[in-house]
Amino acid sequence: MSDPSATSALLSPSLMAQLERLELVSRKIFRGRMKGERKSQRKGQSVEFSDFRNYVPGDDLRFIDWNLYARLDRLFLKLFLEEEDLHFFTLIDASASMDFGEPSKLAFAKQLAAALGFIGLCRADRVKIEALGGSRSRPAPVLRGRKSLWRMLEYLDGIRPELNVPLADGVRDFCLRNTGKGIVVLISDLMDKNGYEAALRWLIARRIDVYVIHVLSPAELKPDLQGDLKLVDCEDRDVTELTISRPLLDRYEKTLAAFVNGAREFCSRRGVSYVMASSQTPVEELVATYLRKRGLVR
Amino acid sequence: MSGLFNNSLMPWQWAVLAAVPPLIVLLYFLKLKRRPIEVPSTYLWRRAIEDLHVNSIWQRIRRNVLLFLQLLLVALIMMAVLRPGCRGTALVGDRFIFLIDTSASMGAKERGGTRLDLAKRRVIELIDQMSRGDVAMVISFSNEARIEQSFTDNRRLLRERVQRIQGTARPSDLAEALRAASGLANPGQTSEAGNPLDAQVASALPATLYLVSDGGFQQVPEFALGNLEPRYVKIGAAADNVGIVAFTTERNSEKLDQVQAFARLENRGAEKAAVEASLYRGADLLDVQQVELPAGEGAGVRFELRDPEPGVLRLAISGADALAVDNEAFAAINPRKPAAVLCVTPSNPALQTALETTAARQLATVTFVEPKYLDDPEYERRAIAGDFDLVLYDRCAPKKMPLASTFFLGSVPPGEVWSNGGKVSPVAIIDVERSHPLVAMPDPTPVRIVEGFVVRGPKGARTLLDSQDGPLLAIAPRESFEDVVMGFTLVDSDSKEGVRANTDWPRWYSFPVFWQNVLAYLAGGVQSESAPTVQPGEPLAFRSLVPVETVRIQRPSGGETELVKRTGQGYFQYSATNLPGAYTVYEGDLAEPSQWFAVNLFDGRETDLTPPADVKIGASQVAAATGGGQVGRKELWKWLLGAGVCVLVFEWYVYNRRVYL
Repeated sequence: MSDPSATSALLSPSLMAQLERLELVSRKIFRGRMKGERKSQRKGQSVEFSDFRNYVPGDDLRFIDWNLYARLDRLFLKLFLEEEDLHFFTLIDASASMDFGEPSKLAFAKQLAAALGFIGLCRADRVKIEALGGSRSRPAPVLRGRKSLWRMLEYLDGIRPELNVPLADGVRDFCLRNTGKGIVVLISDLMDKNGYEAALRWLIARRIDVYVIHVLSPAELKPDLQGDLKLVDCEDRDVTELTISRPLLDRYEKTLAAFVNGAREFCSRRGVSYVMASSQTPVEELVATYLRKRGLVR
Repeated sequence: MSGLFNNSLMPWQWAVLAAVPPLIVLLYFLKLKRRPIEVPSTYLWRRAIEDLHVNSIWQRIRRNVLLFLQLLLVALIMMAVLRPGCRGTALVGDRFIFLIDTSASMGAKERGGTRLDLAKRRVIELIDQMSRGDVAMVISFSNEARIEQSFTDNRRLLRERVQRIQGTARPSDLAEALRAASGLANPGQTSEAGNPLDAQVASALPATLYLVSDGGFQQVPEFALGNLEPRYVKIGAAADNVGIVAFTTERNSEKLDQVQAFARLENRGAEKAAVEASLYRGADLLDVQQVELPAGEGAGVRFELRDPEPGVLRLAISGADALAVDNEAFAAINPRKPAAVLCVTPSNPALQTALETTAARQLATVTFVEPKYLDDPEYERRAIAGDFDLVLYDRCAPKKMPLASTFFLGSVPPGEVWSNGGKVSPVAIIDVERSHPLVAMPDPTPVRIVEGFVVRGPKGARTLLDSQDGPLLAIAPRESFEDVVMGFTLVDSDSKEGVRANTDWPRWYSFPVFWQNVLAYLAGGVQSESAPTVQPGEPLAFRSLVPVETVRIQRPSGGETELVKRTGQGYFQYSATNLPGAYTVYEGDLAEPSQWFAVNLFDGRETDLTPPADVKIGASQVAAATGGGQVGRKELWKWLLGAGVCVLVFEWYVYNRRVYL
């Protein structure tokens, strides 16, 4: 059963009611591990016809099309589409930089992950939410069905902004451990000094449906800084001394715009859906409008 | 320190000030001001300033532009505190009066223009040295003072007014300019030294008086400066100059068909000069004379003209010198006009004989009438109209004095002014006032006179002949005329034997000479031929040859004629005599000129172009100061502070515009 307090913190009843009507959509049909509510590439035992093939010894005689045998005097086997479950992964960047903003980017990421995970659980998808770099200390559970909501929220609550692993390392670790195909939603601020490109390439190489939700806090979008400052990077304690003036703020805003555009272009060229969101944006609005437009939910 | 710099701080204050630049440098390099702030990532900030690292040396300098600007600012402040200055002139005081000489000598050429140009430039320099809030007035003066601009602190206006000042050909009279200047500095005072009635009626406003002149004026020792602080700004350097200081014409008394033109030239240079004096009548050259002039001395020139036509004579001297206005002089020979003389006498053969000699007839036309003519209305009309130049009253007197000079023989004029001081018999002439032209004659003392009376004249009357009991012949002015009263008659008509001689004077040489003098002097017979001469700016009074109400006068520059009306005294007065040259008079509606008069500078002080080293104004001997302002330091600290403000503004701009680490 779900813990009511945790539910109210990450998912309000009204939001849950809104999310129950939605379902996660994959632009590709992947092979699931268990029977679910979705068509699979795998041929199975559903009622939906897919194809014929020649009978080979050992095939189940129940699927031989006897009508065809009568007309053609040859044995053909009827193939049906298998209905399977969907693998839905959510990767949360839990580095220290995600702990900034009001509300913090991490809180926003958790709430978004909870909302998407809840949609998946409602549709009996295979949901896995994982904090990048947190797999060894606290492995993420694989969840299915509404009854797993409590476990999902408990895991989300336990994520702390202290997993300062490079983005690429965290994604590579995830990719090596999770071979299933499905949908991956990466929620991150992409502020990695080594670049986000390597991390995204790992995901693209998996040939799965990748969504990148780029979260930035208002303090990053419109910094409210002035004067002679010593800026300390919260992750690597890197110090940058600056005298912030209007022209410098203009330059920063231009750099930020270039950074966002660069990420968007990188993603769109590689078939990755990119959504930039401020941590102030309400989750229900994001899910109901932006993600629906991108085709992640319907 | 007393030269370029003028230290105004104590050593410990300097130590504090000197510690400021190292402190700024320290603050910059320690960067104490930076506030640490934790941010999600410095990733974007670093990328924002990435391109600034391209040229690190330039960036380093650029990063420190503010440091350099602040050091420059402190350096400027330190320099300002050192009070740097240079030798210059400064005006002391807050009220200034600039007296600019515009007399003829200021037209002398100097290097860089005329003396007046130099004076104007010097005054503009002085105006430029005025501090904010100082007020000044500008007065130009020649023989009259003119307030060009009253007290104002508007320096642009003052400069404009100074630029507009024009030179004149007039002589200088400093006293009037000083009176005008003194009006505000010493209100209520007459500015006469030692005047016991002087009383200050308003609060005095002390002012510094700048006399910008070449010093070609009469010293003014009788002037009380009061609150005026005089400074003499000498304009011009000593220059050689030869000028004409006198030029006149006179008929030769021995050869009456000849006119003599006399001129006096003066050499005010340091070397002897030889000049050619050329006499012209109109454009015709009449005569040329070579004149040698030793340094600092003068010489006379005389030209003989045989029976000349009336007209204008122009004397010009050759050689270009610094001053042109005194190289030319004008005189005119007016038409000969015999004086109109009315002789009112019962009968007087001796007088009649004396007034009808050949020489006397050339001087005047004498009309003899009986005393009863005095009651005739025609006499009254002509007497008021000024038809006569002289009226002789022999043993009679009119009811009212005529508009003419008069000569009374044995009677006194009507009124209280003249009186009979008592009978004298016999009369002995004991003294003669020989300096007067009327009695310039052979000694009259041997003359015997039977009876006479003492002549009591008005105040200002001059005794020409003195008897043992008092004045026997006296002359006194009356408006523009002169009256002469002789205290004895030539003949005694009251005797029983008819006309009897009262004196044996007609038998003496002095008798005809005296009457000739009377006609020449009182009737103006000779003077009427040589035109009167005045200095530029002086008014001139003259009579017309024929009785007219108006005359027209044409100035030397030509152009339109000016209409002048006759005054109540029967003469014409003309005051627009600014230009030197010959002025032509047209009487009534006549198209031909009737007479001329000349305006000439004729001032030795203006001809002398050597400016004096000092001038005496009142009790002060004021030495020349070529600079004008008081020699002093010209402070530069204001400019340095101004530059400091500019640096501060630039620093603010850089601080707001820059992008650096």
